[in-house]
Amino acid sequence: MSHPPDRGVSRRSFLKGSAIAGIATTGLTAAAEAAELHRPPSELGPGEHEITLSINGKARLVKVETRTTLLDALRDRLDLTGAKKICDRGACGGCTVLVDDLPVNSCLMLAVDAVGCELRTVEGLADPADPKATHPLVQNFVACDALQCGFCTPGMVMSSLSCLERRGTPTEAQMRHDLSGNLCRCGTYGRVMEAIERTAKGEGGGR
Amino acid sequence: MRPFTYVLPTSLEQAAEAATQPDTIVKAAGIDIVDRMKERLVTPQKVVNLLPLKRELSQIAEQNGEVTIGAMVTLTQLQEAKQLQGRAYDGLRRAASTTGTPQVQNRATVAGNLLQFTRCWYVRSEAFRCLHGGRGPTCLAMTGDNRYHAVMGWSDCVRVHPSNLAPALLALGAEYTTRAGEAVRRRKLADLFPADPRAQNPEHTLEDGEIVTALHLPAQPADTRLGYAESREKQSFDWATTACAVRVVMAGGKITAADLVLGAVGPVPMAKPQAAQLLVGKEPSEKLFLRVAEAAFAGATPLAFNAYKLPIGKAVVRAALEEATR
Ligand SMILES: Cc1cc2nc3c(=O)[nH]c(=O)nc-3n(C[C@H](O)[C@H](O)[C@H](O)COP(=O)(O)OP(=O)(O)OC[C@H]3O[C@@H](n4cnc5c(N)ncnc54)[C@H](O)[C@@H]3O)c2cc1C
Ligand code: FES
Ligand code: FES
Repeated sequence: MSHPPDRGVSRRSFLKGSAIAGIATTGLTAAAEAAELHRPPSELGPGEHEITLSINGKARLVKVETRTTLLDALRDRLDLTGAKKICDRGACGGCTVLVDDLPVNSCLMLAVDAVGCELRTVEGLADPADPKATHPLVQNFVACDALQCGFCTPGMVMSSLSCLERRGTPTEAQMRHDLSGNLCRCGTYGRVMEAIERTAKGEGGGR
Repeated sequence: MRPFTYVLPTSLEQAAEAATQPDTIVKAAGIDIVDRMKERLVTPQKVVNLLPLKRELSQIAEQNGEVTIGAMVTLTQLQEAKQLQGRAYDGLRRAASTTGTPQVQNRATVAGNLLQFTRCWYVRSEAFRCLHGGRGPTCLAMTGDNRYHAVMGWSDCVRVHPSNLAPALLALGAEYTTRAGEAVRRRKLADLFPADPRAQNPEHTLEDGEIVTALHLPAQPADTRLGYAESREKQSFDWATTACAVRVVMAGGKITAADLVLGAVGPVPMAKPQAAQLLVGKEPSEKLFLRVAEAAFAGATPLAFNAYKLPIGKAVVRAALEEATR
């Protein structure tokens, strides 16, 4: 599949391949349809190409190679440096972002695999231009002093957010489970759970 | 990671055909393979991405008691599947739930978990030249730091098979279906692992370009229970140091059939039919479980730094049995 370099790849043409997209619009006969299905699959790379990622509700164009991880695309190409690159091997959780509402390690996901997914990063929880719009969970991280060096925090916030969204009012066991993919060397887990609890109770900033 | 061409199939047919090209690998979520590509242990020219086939390959269905699990079902989906909530699947859900981290489980696929590469730190490091894959003259773990390595079933390479799901699926008598070109084949899951796991043998018996499409769990008799227990150094982020899945069928307070499979102690998952046979016709008891645990590790030959796996592994067998017969 060849793309004009300045055009984004939509979910449909990207995942389904242009062959399938063509069928819908041109209404091929059964024989032609069968021929279409036997066309070779679409290919990308190895060089750079442009893809569209949906990040924090906005469509973002980004140039990546097939080997670019989602984490590198976010940090190096889109200047979204919230997600941290610590181990780059799925072994710390510092790079946690939400993909279709579930926390994943963006260091082990290829950026091209994120096309068509709804991505959320920690940047989506605050707006520098409007401090009042800061997500209550982030306010509670601050209020509970739920960070020390702060390096694990963006990932920790995203796992906490998913915990709250999926469970409403999580039990301690559920919080422990949901935070078990985020390493914190400063040992902030207790306060992170406090921040989650306060958010679940509907409390915002201020202790 | 070396640059590669990414192949995006729109059908299984296309994927199966593309996968047979030279210097080509297939990829599911990529949790294992991306890691190995970063280490440059795998440097393919082409990667066939199975994710576009996710809809087709991530169904779970039950028919006449047989449960079919699509190869791309994630470990999170496996735990939540309504077809897998009964006691016969307790151990399978538990094995999925202790795998790595929630982040890993949210993406890792069932087939990818079974087909993941060994965790041996010599094999997985570009810096070491060991016998595995013919990179060097000897198995470096045999005489090196082998604390996480095999205590049984090895000949010239002491790697262990790291998959959590493998013992549980094997104890349930699972089968798997593959697609290679036009050919569809269904075999016993035990056949996926080499009978003679030598350094030169790949971790699995798939042919080049063969794609796993589904796992099948046969219908289980009434009151079947699957127990699963494991030891690990950390409660998350880690692989098991020993694991045991045990399937028992109960009737009138007695065990009428049993299967027992150990994980993380040999180069392939280790079925222990003789140990399991000791359970049949008996009432569960602490004494019986002790005998079964001893039998499961009978003849084990630990290396310099992994003798701990024997007592811990036996305790894990008993824990799995207790869970299954509770
Ligand atoms: C921090 C961490 C901790 C972990 N802990 C554990 C643990 O405790 N227990 C455990 O079992 N695992 C553990 N894992 C490993 C993880 O479960 C596997 O990496 C994952 O399941 C691989 O699945 P995948 O879909 O990403 O496979 P991929 O990485 O995409 O593929 C893995 C291999 O399988 C092949 N493959 C995949 N799908 C198919 C198919 N359908 N047909 C043919 N070949 C296929 C690929 O070619 C590749 O060789 C851990 C991983 C991390 C990062
Ligand atoms: S950087 Fe991704 S898990 Fe550590
Ligand atoms: S706050 Fe320092 S690592 Fe978590």
